Parts: sequence; structure tokens; C-alpha cells
Amino acid sequence: MDYIIEMLGITKEFPGIIANDNVTLQLARGEIHALLGENGAGKSTLMSVLFGMYQPEEGVIKKNGQEVHIKDPNDANHLGIGMVHQHFKLVHNFTVLENIILGVETTANGFLKMDKARKRVVELSNQYGLRVDPDALISDITVGMQQRVEILKMLYRDNEILIFDEPTAVLTPQEIEELMKIMKGLAAEGKSILFITHKLNEIKAVANRCTVLRKGKYIGTVDVADTSMEQMSEMMVGRKVSLQVEKGETQPGEVILETEGLTVRSKATGKNVVDHVSLSVRAGEIVCIAGIDGNGQSELVYALTGLIRPDEGTIRLNGKDITHASIRERNISGMGHIPEDRHRHGLVLDYSLAYNLVLQTYFTPRFQKSGMLKFDAINDYANGLIQKFDIRSGQGANTVARSMSGGNQQKAIVAREVDRNPDLLIAVQPTRGLDVGAIEYIHKQLIAERDSGKGILLVSLELDEVMNVSDRILVIYEGEIVAELDPKQVSVQELGLYMAGSKRGNQA
Amino acid sequence: MKENKFSRWLHGEGVTSFLSSFMAILVGLLVGFVILLISNPSQALGGFKAILMGGFVDRKNMGQVFYFATPIIMTGLSVGFANKTGLFNIGAPGQFIVGAYAAVYVGVQWKFLPAGVHWIAALVAAMVAGGIWGLLPGILRAYRNVNVVISCIMMNYVGMYLVNYAITKTIFDSLKNQTKRVASTAVIPKLGLDLIFKTGNSSSSVNAGIFLAVIAGIVIYVVLDKTKFGFELKACGYNMDACKYAGMNEKRSIIYSMVIAGALSGLGGALLYLAGSGKGIEVLDVLAAEGFNGIPVALLGLNNPIGIIFAGIFVAYLNVGGFNMQLYDFVPQVIEIIIAVIIYFSAFALLLKGFIRSRIAHRNQNGPNANAELNAEGGQAS
Amino acid sequence: MNTLYFLVQQTMYFSIPLLIVALGGMFSERSGVVNIALEGIMIMGAFSSILFISVFQTVLPGQPVLLLAILIAAATGVIISLAHAYASINMKADQVISGTAINMFAPAFAIYVARMIRTVQQIPFVNQFRIEKVPVLGNIPVIGPMLFQNTYITTYLGFAILIVSWMVLYKTRFGLRLRSCGEHPQAADSVGINVYRMRYAGVAISGALAGIGGLVFVIPTSTNFNATVAGYGFLALAVLIFGQWKPSKILMAAFFFGLMKTIASAYSGIPVLAAMKIPNDIYKMIPYVATLVVLAFTSKNSQAPRAEGIPYDKGGR
Repeated sequence: MDYIIEMLGITKEFPGIIANDNVTLQLARGEIHALLGENGAGKSTLMSVLFGMYQPEEGVIKKNGQEVHIKDPNDANHLGIGMVHQHFKLVHNFTVLENIILGVETTANGFLKMDKARKRVVELSNQYGLRVDPDALISDITVGMQQRVEILKMLYRDNEILIFDEPTAVLTPQEIEELMKIMKGLAAEGKSILFITHKLNEIKAVANRCTVLRKGKYIGTVDVADTSMEQMSEMMVGRKVSLQVEKGETQPGEVILETEGLTVRSKATGKNVVDHVSLSVRAGEIVCIAGIDGNGQSELVYALTGLIRPDEGTIRLNGKDITHASIRERNISGMGHIPEDRHRHGLVLDYSLAYNLVLQTYFTPRFQKSGMLKFDAINDYANGLIQKFDIRSGQGANTVARSMSGGNQQKAIVAREVDRNPDLLIAVQPTRGLDVGAIEYIHKQLIAERDSGKGILLVSLELDEVMNVSDRILVIYEGEIVAELDPKQVSVQELGLYMAGSKRGNQA
Repeated sequence: MKENKFSRWLHGEGVTSFLSSFMAILVGLLVGFVILLISNPSQALGGFKAILMGGFVDRKNMGQVFYFATPIIMTGLSVGFANKTGLFNIGAPGQFIVGAYAAVYVGVQWKFLPAGVHWIAALVAAMVAGGIWGLLPGILRAYRNVNVVISCIMMNYVGMYLVNYAITKTIFDSLKNQTKRVASTAVIPKLGLDLIFKTGNSSSSVNAGIFLAVIAGIVIYVVLDKTKFGFELKACGYNMDACKYAGMNEKRSIIYSMVIAGALSGLGGALLYLAGSGKGIEVLDVLAAEGFNGIPVALLGLNNPIGIIFAGIFVAYLNVGGFNMQLYDFVPQVIEIIIAVIIYFSAFALLLKGFIRSRIAHRNQNGPNANAELNAEGGQAS
Repeated sequence: MNTLYFLVQQTMYFSIPLLIVALGGMFSERSGVVNIALEGIMIMGAFSSILFISVFQTVLPGQPVLLLAILIAAATGVIISLAHAYASINMKADQVISGTAINMFAPAFAIYVARMIRTVQQIPFVNQFRIEKVPVLGNIPVIGPMLFQNTYITTYLGFAILIVSWMVLYKTRFGLRLRSCGEHPQAADSVGINVYRMRYAGVAISGALAGIGGLVFVIPTSTNFNATVAGYGFLALAVLIFGQWKPSKILMAAFFFGLMKTIASAYSGIPVLAAMKIPNDIYKMIPYVATLVVLAFTSKNSQAPRAEGIPYDKGGR
């Protein structure tokens, strides 16, 4: 085969962990090659090596059969390698154009010359149907458009090897479809694409071949057309996994949470970011808020949990009006909250695991007496939760939260919120960035909570999660609930149309 | 088994912190010695010895170490406490001076108070005044999002000018251009310390203030590490969003932190000017040095209240050495240079800690425990 | 009218050093390094250059001495700032700590050296740098007396630095790259920009400007240097934050503060204010109180560089 890039026997170690252990990856010219693996399997490390951000301890990289040394991203760029990172590398207060030219600026007498660059960007944008406005600020454009800016950055540099690192995680079904089209178009124009993902259906949709990594080791490379999704997932996880979530029928009971006309206005624009939302969650059901990121989900949750004050409407928990209650009052009256951003809201990263586990309960008589903390009680409680929820950490209850893996941090939050035994559990993207094992675990916890008669409000951007876990779907679009759907009766495609705002109305 | 424990102890946070501070101190002293050598080789050894001897020359000097340590322990606690709660309190000079004024005012004017109460009332007044000076930046930060660093800088100058004005209007000794002497009942009790720390007929100015500073350090330590109040303050310092999420009142925490920091600095001002050494607040357009000195003391003490007590004593010890060094015709500012160098190198603590750890790991490489840290990843090590 | 001219001239003396030093701080902070060492760097810059002036003033004519002194101040500032850069960039130290160390080191060093070589800590100089009247321009009505009489070349230097700073920051490749390092160093790194080198450049520029600022502060307001710049480094830091890290707003902040300071120090020369019989010390408080009040109403949206104060770790995972 005609390989444009070969990475042979790559080994990269970090203190305490071998991130890549003798990994091989061969990318053929003009193909779309998927790189499959769980979080922590070493995909990002391997790509960082290819991109010159890390130097491998062992192994060689060849381009067109010639050995090359990639010492920094500049070298990678000279070799025509470009990358769309999972977390976009865009400066928020720069324009699209400034972000594209950053690092390869054209200048005259030391001053920036933008005219030519602008012309070229507009041309490329038109050629590949990317539709970006070169003068918009990054902070003002949608995530989808930011991703297209990243693609333009590669095209502007005439890269021929394009790496996409988990590109679909932030996109809607329609945007994903569009991205797939763009990727196929790029491959047709002779670009070679490396597509990093853990989503099997996307690999099936676009990739020619697929290389699988597991725990830093190379497992194998397969032709996608000849391999089933089950086979690939087994290669990725190392055991058979069920792609379906098992759960029984829902038996909804009394209404736990009820909102009426809940409205949050943006301070900057005065627009309703949450627009007269009336919803209810009953005991023993999982209600899912589905929608594209940035359609008011965060603000809705903030208003429900008390992080921001709603401008209009009422919130009732167990029949009690909590619209103006403080966060602590809500916590005490039976609200649990697994927050969207576990580092920003969920944890005090510099506190120990034990302290984080009592973050909302440290003031109760169980953990303090006349103002003094009861350390024994706190540690006993923490050790109990560590056992019960299988939270793994270096030094048990005394581990600093920052040093724990993302999956275990999330387990700690889930443990804390579930153990407070709330009547209503609000879970926002609870599985974001976790690997298959942890996702399975968290879904099981949510279903167990439901079965024990709790009301669950799940906010998710992952369509699989929405379809598999929820009992009832509420679609949010531009702050409004535009549809109530039954996951058993709606297709992913149809759900996507509601989420994109091109369809509305009740189906159930 | 024994070796195992020892190496774990060596790996411990406290030990490596101490060792890295110790190395920074060595480097600082070395630089100081080199400076002395360059400026006057023949006297350098004597001068350097004077620095090292510091307060150990005689009893009076030992007392002076504690006397000088008292105010900078307080401002160090103020800065360190605020740091622990996520705020950089560069406002200690202002809080210090308004506290000092309030104390001296009460000391001079409120002669109607009975003997045992007078000095305590003066201390309380200082804490209230300092607290108010911290309150304002706290409120501005909590409710108006004003950067604490710049509001504190502004409050420093406002405090200085306000105190200058207030002194000339109320308790001014125009001959000496400073405040009048406080009543003897407002002077902090000596508790016999003047008899212990005495050389010949000359007594040190040390007084019960040093005990108050140490007690303040212990109280701050307990509050920060043992109470639910400290749990909240530190949580808000580390992560204000998580604090809010967990139902704590993050605005209130900021304000409390600044008020307490201000009160600590204010008390420092009182302890200095109620020491009975005859020192009054001078009317000068210069910010209180004791306030700024709290920053290096806090940094040297790694923001730990107990560490700050020792750091304050250490800095005072060097300063006393600096005075004595003048006998050898050196300028005492060399001490500040040494302290600056120590602080600069203590900023490398992270790297030094890594270096110390790797040395220890290197020595233990053949031992059974060499890779314990590596294997700890993911699983429970114990 | 004379009062107005006097006020404008005085305002320049206070504002220009703040402007220069705050612009210096801007370069450092927009590259991602907090620089609270501005005060110490100012002192070192003023110390070395005033020492130079006091020695060479007798052998060289006025303005050339001043120009050379400016270069010396800048060079000293760069050298000192490199210590801060090394700690905060290479050693990934807490940037407040090394800044504090420099602030403590500078006055002690200035006093120590001065006393070791001349036995007193003050370094006197003769102010022969004032320009009574700029030829031609000084004769323009109104503007002439305001801007071109009783002035110093440092005033024009300040404005030149402002214009150059603005152009460098917004119109050059260097400026674009510098700003990207302060906002999103990972993004800069991913497109092959050497974040460490850009941050070194930012800190070094702040050192040069702070060094110059120290000299510019001392020249018009005194006839000797006494190891202090009266907290102007900290005030410049405040001006930088007040000015939202942007050259145009820094200009406004510096002049706002300078004007307040002028009113505070020169009120007795202003008939209206002198007649009000408000005590001296109260006037002196005005600049600081006014700044607090303005801040209370303008601080809701902070524009601080996002990566400011966070050491960049290339190998960080």
C-alpha cells in the first residue's frame, strides 16, 4: 500500500505510566483512517507525538517511506500535518482570520498584511463549503463554526495529512453529517485523514480502515467494511460489551419537580435564554433534556439548582415553591446535582477526596460539632463511599482530588450526590469524557436511582445516551421546550431535526 | 520495614517543604556573604558572623528578636490567611497603620478606662479599624468584582493620608512630628520579659505582644484547618464556583476573609505602637514597611500560620544581626537583600522539591520500594 | 489661563511615568506573566541611571546625558526583569513570589550600593534637563504653553512609547503572537509559536519600560534619588488593571490618575480650590478615592488575559 505516514513501534512514557507501548499506525494516501480507543488508551498521546508536541522514547516516523524527525509543531506543519484538536486551539478574542493566520502570518516591514490572507481564506472556505465569516470573533460564533475554522487552519497551511481528534463530540446529528461530508470531500481531493473517535457508527460511516489501541498497546488494524461494530468494540474494550443499556419499564409516581413559565434572560443581550419552560419530572422516571449545546440547557439547570435567579416563572420541588430558595435550602429539600463541569462546579480540586465528599454536608451535626469538624466521622464516611462506589485513588480518602482520573472524579461526584439520597437528581452530561466502563457504571447508577423511586432530570448532548437511558425526552431549542418525545417511538434522525429547530410539536 | 517508613517520611510534604526552604536560606546567606566579601573583604567574616549570631549576642538582643518579630508575624498572618482563602492582600500597610492609629488614639485619649482594660480596648479598637480597612476591598470584590490587588493599593494610600490627617487633628506631638505617648495603662504588659531579656541596665522592648502574635497564629491555624468556617473559606479560595454550587455563601466568605486579614494587620499595628518603647506613629508620606514585610514573611512561612510564626522570628533574627553588623561598617540593607534572595529561591520550591525527591528516589533505587509511587497510579497504594 | 498651563504641565510629570510603566506591565501580562515587580524594576532603573547622571553630568551636556541615562535605565530594567522571567517561565514559580523578591531587593540594593560607595543613600543630581520652550512649537497659542513649555524630552518619549506600543501590539506579527500567548498558550504552541520565548520578550519589554519609567518619574519631581519611586510601580499596576490591559484605556487611566494627583498636590495654586480650605491630606487622598469609586462602577467585566499568571508547561498533560 502507498503509505503517506507511518508510525512504527512508538513508545512514549510519562512518569508512572506508559502511554504508548510499541504502537504502529500506517496511514495510506487519500484514505480516512480511524483511530479507535477508550479514554486513556493513548490516542491523544500518539497524535501529539505525530504532531511534534511529545518526543517518543522509541520508534520511528516515516513520511512517504523516508524517516523524519518531528521536534515541534512547526516540523509537523512543514511535513503537511495538521490537526483539529478536541479542545479547539482558538484564541477567543481574536477574529477567525487572525486565528487562521496565527503562526504563518504574512508581513511587510514587520507589519501584518491581512488582505491576501483574507482572500485565500474566503476562497478555501467557498471551495470546501465551510461558510465562515473571517471577521467574526471566535467568542461570537458557534462551536460548529469554530470547528470549521480549525479545518480552515489546516487547509490554509496546505496540510495534506489531517488529524481530527474526537471531532463529533460537540456537534449535532446534522452537523455531524455535514462534517462527514466535508471529510469525504477532503479525502476525495487527495487529503489523508486520521479520525480519532470512540464512536463506532461514525467509523462505519466514513472510515476505510481502523487502528485500535487499548491501554497504550496496539491491538490491530482492520478494514472497516469487513468488521462489525461488535468486533471493533470488543477490540477496544478487551471484553464483550453490551451497546444497549438494560432497564425495565418506568413506573412514574408523583410529580417531584415542576416548573411553570421558567424564564432566564441574558444580561448581555436581553434575550430569553430559557424561554417560558414548563416541565415536570415524576418519581421513578428519567426525563432527558436533549438539545444542541448552547440552547439554554446550562441556564435552565442553573436556574433549577439556584446558581442563577430566574427572571420569571416558578419552580416547585415536592410541591414546595423553591423559586427563591437558596442553593443550600434546595440541597436540604431533596435536590441532587451532578454538574456539567466537574472541575468548575463539582469539585474543589485542591481538597482531599474526603472533603469533596462532604462538600454539601460538612455543616451537618454528623460532621461538625459547635463549629469544629469531626475528622473521624468525615473519614469514615468517605471510606464508606469509596468502598460502596468503587472510587479509586492513590491515597484513599486523603487523595487530593486533582490527582484522580476523570472517571474517578466523576464517580466521586455521583457517589456524593446519590448518597445524599435526593428525591430529584439533576445530572448534566454525567458521562462526558469518560470511557466505556465508567459510562456503563454511571448509567446503571442513574437507572438504579430511578428504580428506587427518584426523579431524574438528565441533560445530555450524546444522542446514544438520550435514546438509551431516558424514559421521556424533552427537546430544547433556543431556550424553549419544542417537543416531548418517547424514545421508543422516535428515530435518531427525527430527534436531530427537532434539536436543530427545523421541526417542532408533540409526538407523544 | 523501618527503612520503608523512613523513606515515606522523607517523601512527606512537610519534610520536602522544609528542606527546600532550608536550601533557599542557604543560598540567600551565601549571596549575602559574597556581597560582604565584595564590598569589604577584610571585615566580611566578622560582619557575616554578626548576621549569623543575630539575636544570640546577648539577652537583650534575644528579646529584640521577639520584639521585632511581633508586628511582622501579624502582617504575615494577615497576608498568609488571605492567600489561603484565595486573596492577595497587598493592603496590609494600610490596615496596619489604621489599626496602629486606632490603638494609639484609644491609648492616648481614653484615659478613663481602668488599667486592666485600657490596653485591651486599644487592641480591640485596632482590630476593628484594620477590619474595616479590609472590609471595603472585600465588599468591592464580592459585589462589584473589583480586583483586590488594586483596591488594596488604593486603600493603603487612603489609610496613610487619613491617619496623617487624623494624627495632626487629634493626638499630635508637633515637636517630634509624631503621635503623643500613650498612657501607661495602655502599654501592653511586659509579664517580666523585660527582666529576662536584659543586658546590663538596658532592657529589651519585648512584651506580651509576642505571645499574642503566637496565639493569633495558633487561632488562625485552628480556624483554617479544624473548623467548618475554615472549610468554607478555603473552599471559596480554591474554587469559588464549586463553593457556590455546594450552597456556601461565597460573597460572605470573601468579605469575612478580608475583614479577618485586615484585623490581623491592624492588631499588628497596635502591638508595635503599644509596646512601650516610646515609638510613636510618625507623620510621613511613606507606607508602613511592616505591612509590606508581611508578604515575604507569609511566603517564607509557606502561608502556613505556624510556619509564619517561625518565618517572622527568623526574619527578625536576621534584622537584629543586621543592626549588629553595622559595627563592622556594613550597611544593614544587606539583610533585606538576603531575605529577597531567600524568597526568590523559595519560589523555586516546586523544582527544589522535585530535586530532593529525585535524590531520595535515586538513593533508594535498589530498594524494594523504589517504584511505589509509580505503581500507586490508579489503585489504592496502601 | 496660566493656571491651566501649569496644571497640564504638572499632570504630564505624574502621568507619563505611570503611562510608560503601565504599558510595560501590559506587555508582560498580555504575554501571560503577572509582573508585580514593576516597583522594584523602576527603582533599579532610576538608581542606575541617576547614578550615571550624577557622575557624568559634569563632563557631558544635558540632553545627551539624559538620553544615555534612558538607555541605561532600560538596560538595567531588562536585566532585573530577566530574573523574574527565569523564575516565572523556566522555573514555573508562583509569579507573585519572585515579583515580591525583586520589590524587596531593589531598594535594599540601591541603598546598600549608594552607601557603600558614597556613604549617604541619596544620589543628588542637577536638573538641567528641563526645556523652557520648544523652538517654534512652544510659540503656538494655547497648545504651545501647555505641551511645549517647561517640558522634558521624556514626555514626548512617553507618547512615542504609547504609539509604538499600540502598533506593536495590534499591527505586528510579534504583537499578535504575544497576545495569543497570554490568552491561549496551547493554541500558540500548536501553531509553532515558542511560548517561552514570547513570554521572555514580554517580560523583558516590561523591564525596559519600567526601568525608563523609574528615571522619568524621578527627573522632574526631585533633585536627588533616595531609593524610592513612591509606590509608582504599584500605582502603574493599578493603572494597567484600570486600563483593562489596553493601550488606549491605559492612557486614559494614567491621565485620570495624573490629573487627580496634580489637583491634590497643586490645589493651593488653584484659586477656587485654595479658597475651600480643605486640609492638605484630604486632597492627597483624592486620586486614590476617585480611582476606587471609578473602579466600583467599571469592574463588572474584567478583560484580563485568560492565561495570565499560569506558568506554561509544554509537556503538561
